[in-house]
Amino acid sequence: MHPAERQTDYRWPLLWAGALVALVGAALLGVAISESEAWAEVAGALGLSLVGWGGLVQSFDAGALALGPNPAGAIAGPKMLVAGTLVWLAGWGLVAAGIRRAPASTEGPSPAAGSTLYPRLARYRDFYWSTLGAYGGGILLAELVMLLLQTVLSSGGPSELGGVTPREPGGGASLAPTLAFAIALVLGAGVAFASGFVGASRAQRLSLPEATIGVFYLGLPIPILLSLMERVPSLQLALGYRLREVTYVAGLLGRPELGYWLVFAALVLALVLGINTGFIAAGSGRVDLRLGFELFVARRHVAVFRPSLLLGALAVLMFGIIPPLIIYFIIRGAEAAVERTRVKSLGLADPLAAAAAQHRMKLHEQSPTMMMTALSVGGVGVGVMALIIVLSVMSGFEADLQQKILGTNAHAVVSKYAGELPEYSKVMEQVKRVPGVVGQTPFIINQVMIASEGNVDGVIIKGIDPHSVGSVTDLPQNILPGGDLGHLEQPGKILPSRAVEDDEDAKPKDEEDPIIGKASAPAKPTVLPGIIVGRELAASLRVVVGDRVNVVSPLGTELSPSGPIPKSRAFRVAGVFYSGMYEYDSKFVYILLKEAQDFFNVKGATGIELKVADIDDARRISNQVVRVLGGYPYRARDWGEMNKNLFSALRLEKLVMGIILSIIIIVAAGLIVATVIMLVLEKRKEISVLKALGVPDGGIVKIFLAEGLQIGVAGGLLGLFSGLAWCLFIEKVGIKLDPEVYYIPALPVRIEPVQTALAVVIAVLVTYLASIYPALKASSVEPVEGLKAE
Amino acid sequence: MALLSIRNVFKSYFLHGKRIDILRAVSLDIHAGELISMVGASGAGKSTFLHVLGTLDAPAAGEVLFEGRSVFSMNDAEIAEFRNRTIGFVFQSHYLLPEFTALENVAMPALIQRRERAGAYTYARELLERVGLGSRVDHRPGELSGGEAQRVALARALVLKPAVLLADEPTGNLDPTTGEGIHQLLRDVNRDLGITAVIVTHNETLARSMPRRLRLAGGQVSEA
Repeated sequence: MHPAERQTDYRWPLLWAGALVALVGAALLGVAISESEAWAEVAGALGLSLVGWGGLVQSFDAGALALGPNPAGAIAGPKMLVAGTLVWLAGWGLVAAGIRRAPASTEGPSPAAGSTLYPRLARYRDFYWSTLGAYGGGILLAELVMLLLQTVLSSGGPSELGGVTPREPGGGASLAPTLAFAIALVLGAGVAFASGFVGASRAQRLSLPEATIGVFYLGLPIPILLSLMERVPSLQLALGYRLREVTYVAGLLGRPELGYWLVFAALVLALVLGINTGFIAAGSGRVDLRLGFELFVARRHVAVFRPSLLLGALAVLMFGIIPPLIIYFIIRGAEAAVERTRVKSLGLADPLAAAAAQHRMKLHEQSPTMMMTALSVGGVGVGVMALIIVLSVMSGFEADLQQKILGTNAHAVVSKYAGELPEYSKVMEQVKRVPGVVGQTPFIINQVMIASEGNVDGVIIKGIDPHSVGSVTDLPQNILPGGDLGHLEQPGKILPSRAVEDDEDAKPKDEEDPIIGKASAPAKPTVLPGIIVGRELAASLRVVVGDRVNVVSPLGTELSPSGPIPKSRAFRVAGVFYSGMYEYDSKFVYILLKEAQDFFNVKGATGIELKVADIDDARRISNQVVRVLGGYPYRARDWGEMNKNLFSALRLEKLVMGIILSIIIIVAAGLIVATVIMLVLEKRKEISVLKALGVPDGGIVKIFLAEGLQIGVAGGLLGLFSGLAWCLFIEKVGIKLDPEVYYIPALPVRIEPVQTALAVVIAVLVTYLASIYPALKASSVEPVEGLKAE
Repeated sequence: MALLSIRNVFKSYFLHGKRIDILRAVSLDIHAGELISMVGASGAGKSTFLHVLGTLDAPAAGEVLFEGRSVFSMNDAEIAEFRNRTIGFVFQSHYLLPEFTALENVAMPALIQRRERAGAYTYARELLERVGLGSRVDHRPGELSGGEAQRVALARALVLKPAVLLADEPTGNLDPTTGEGIHQLLRDVNRDLGITAVIVTHNETLARSMPRRLRLAGGQVSEA
C-alpha cells in the first residue's frame, strides 16, 4: 500500500498499548462495580423497567441512586472505581493518539473532478437505522414473546405476568411446560428469523454493525436480568412470582442461567439465519426465492449424491475407516489390473481404441475437490452419528432410570402442607374426577429401624393398600416368586421359613412367666403381620420369605417399667421385591396401611399417590388436582419435582454431551468451509462467466450455499442412517455391561425421534452457516477479475 | 435515439499506488444494427471499454445509457437481468462451463432466466446446428477444439437474441482460417438477426472490413 492512498495513519504500538491499558481499566472498573455490589442496588429497579417496559424513568432513578450520594457501604472501593475510570480513559486516549489523518495528497484534482459519481456509490449508506430497529427490536420481541407465551401457555392467563389478580383456575391454556416451551421457542425463533429477514432485505446486505448493536443493547438485557434474578434476592422477590413458569422450565436443566443463555443463543441463531436468508433472498435488490437454476449448477459442481460416494461414506461410518479402505483399494487394484489387461488386448488390435479407453480411465480418477467433498460428507456424518448414538444411549439410561423410579414411586403425591390426611377417602373421591388421573392409593410413610437375626438397617417404611397400590406402582409385578402381596392382608398364609419355625418353637418358652412358671399365652402361635422388603435389604438382613423381622420406630415411644422405650413391632416377611434400583431395593419396606396407622398413630394416611396417563403432563395434572381440592392446605408434587436433582443432573449431562459432540459437527463444518473455499477458488472463472451471463450476486451466493448444503444434507442423512443402524444394533444385539458396576445388564438405547431429528437439523444448520462465508466470497468475485485471469 | 450511449466515462486502474487513467471522459453513441470494430494497442483499455459497455465493470464516473436509461443506476439484480437479456458476450477464450455439455452451455442464459428447460434446449440445439456443431451437442468443452468451443460460445451469446453483441478478440486464440469462419458468423449474425455488434480486434483486415471503425488510444475513443 502506497501512503498516498491512505487517509489514515495507524501507529500500531500506540494502538495496542492503548487497547491493553483500556482493558486493564475496564477490568478494574468491573472489579470495583462487582465489589461494591452495585448490581444488587440497581438490578431490581432496572429489571422491573426492562420487563414491564413501563418505568424506564425508574431505571434512571435507580441509576442516579447508585451513582449519586451513595451509602458508604455500597461502593467499597471508590479509589478503585476512580482508578479504573482513569486507566480506561487513558487507554482510549492512547488509542486516539495512535490514529491520525494522513497528509493530503499533493496531486491536484483528477480530470474526472466534478463529473457524476458512479450512481451506486452515490447511493451508498453506511448505517441503516431501520435495520438496527428490525434486528434489535426483533430479538427483544422474540424474547418477550417467549416469556409471555411460556407463562400464558403453561400456567393459564396472561394476567399472571401482569401481576394483577390471578384468573380463576382452569382459565387460559394450560399445556405441559415442555410443550409450552417448545411452542414458545418455535414462535420466538420465528419472530427473530422474520425480523432478521426484514432487516437484511431492507438494507440489502448483512449489516453486521446493526446486528451487533441490536443484539448487544436490546437482546442482552433480558437474559442478563433473568440470570441476575437467581443471584439478587430483591429481584427474585419482585419478578420471581411472575416469571415462575419460565424459571421452572429453565430449572429443568438444574442450572436455570444455562437455560436462559441457551435459549438466547437459539434466538440469536434464528436471527442470524433470518439475516442471511433475507440477504440472500433480497440482497441483490428483490426477493427471489427460486432455486431451480442454482441447484442445477450446484449439483454439477459438487456431485455429492453419487452412489459410490454415498455408499463409501456410509461404509466408513458403519465399519470404521480401515476395513472399507482396504476393501476399496483391493477392488480398485483388481479393477485397474483387469482394465489394463483389457486395454492391452484392445491395443494389440487397435492402438487408437486403446488410447480412447485409457482416456476414459483417466476421466474416472478423482480430483482433490472430490476427495475434499467426500471427507466433508464423512465428517458431518461422523458428527451426526456420534450425536445420535450417544444421545440415544443417554436417553436409554434416563428412560431406564425413569421407569424404575416411576415403577416404585408415584407420578404425583397429594398431601397437606402439614399434618395427616384423615379424610383421604373423601379426597380420593374428588381426585378421581380429575381427567388424566388413572390410579390412586393412600399411603403412610415413615423412617424406622429394621432388625433381623443377622443385621440392623435404617429404612423407609410405607403403609400401603394392597388393592389399589397396583394401580399406581409396579410393586405387585416386582414381587419375586415365593412372596405374595396379598399375604399382607392374610398374614396367616405366610409360610414360616425353617429357621423361623425353630424360633417359633422357642418363643412360647421365652414368654413363659418365670415367676408363675406358666405360659402366658396358649400354644397357638401368634400370627405376625406381613412385611415386604427389597431384595438388597433382604440380602443384607439375611432374611427370606417367612422370616421374622423387628421394626423399631424412634418416633413413637411406649412406656415400660424402665421408662419410655422405642416402639417395636415384629413382622413376618411376606415377600421380597426387586425394582432394579439399588436405592429402592435396599431402602424400602412395605406394610399394610392399617398396621402403619396403628404403629405410627396416624389417622387416615400421610398422603395419596397418583398415577397419571401422561407422565410428562404430571405437573399440570397435579396442579389441577390441587385446584379441584380447593388449594391450601392441600398440595401436590409431581415426580419431576420430587426427583428434581437427579433428572436435572441427567438432562444437564445430556446437554453437555450434546454440545461437546456438536463440536465434531463444527469441526466438520470447518472442512465444509475449506471445501467450499477450494471450490470457489477453483471456479473463479466460472463465477465470472456466470455473472457475465446475467446471474446476480444473490444467485452466486445461492449456488455455493447449495453446494455446502448438499454436503451437509448428505452427511446428515448418512449420519442418521448409520446412527440409527448402530442404535438398533446396540438394542438388538446388546452390549453387555459389568453387573458389578451397573444395575442393568446391557447398554440401554432409546431412540427419541425429536432428538434424533434435531441432530440432523443441527448438522444441516451448521453446514448452512459454514457455507455462508465462502458463498459470500464467491459472490464478491468481480467478473472482470475472473475473466482476466487467463 | 442511440441504442447504447456512453457519457463522459472515466475509468482508472491502480498499479503500485499509481493511478492509470484508462478511459478519460469517453463519450460515444452506438445505434441499433451497427457493426463496429475497435482497435487499439495492447493495454490501451479496449477490454475495459467493452466491460464497461457490457456492465461487467463499473466506471468511476460517467454514465452508460441503454435506450436512454442509465444502466448503473439500477440495482444489482436489475443490472444482472439487463446483462442477461440485452448483452451477449464472446471473449478471447471461450469461457464455457466445463461441467456442462455444449447444449447446456448454450442454453445457460435461458436457464438463468428460468425459462422452461425443454424449450431452451430445443432453441439451443437449433443454434448449435446453425454454427455447424449439430453433432457435438452432448460433448463437454474439454472435448471440443478451440474453434468449436468458440462457436459454442457464440451460440451461447446469441441464445436470448440480445440487442448487443460484445466480442473481445473472439479470434485471438485461433488460426486465421478458423478465425475467418468466426468473423463470417459474426457478420451473418449482424445482418440476419439485426444484432448490434462491437468487436474488439487486433486484426486490421477484419477491422477495416467493418462499416464503423473505432480506435482507442490515450484514454480517448476516436472514429478511424
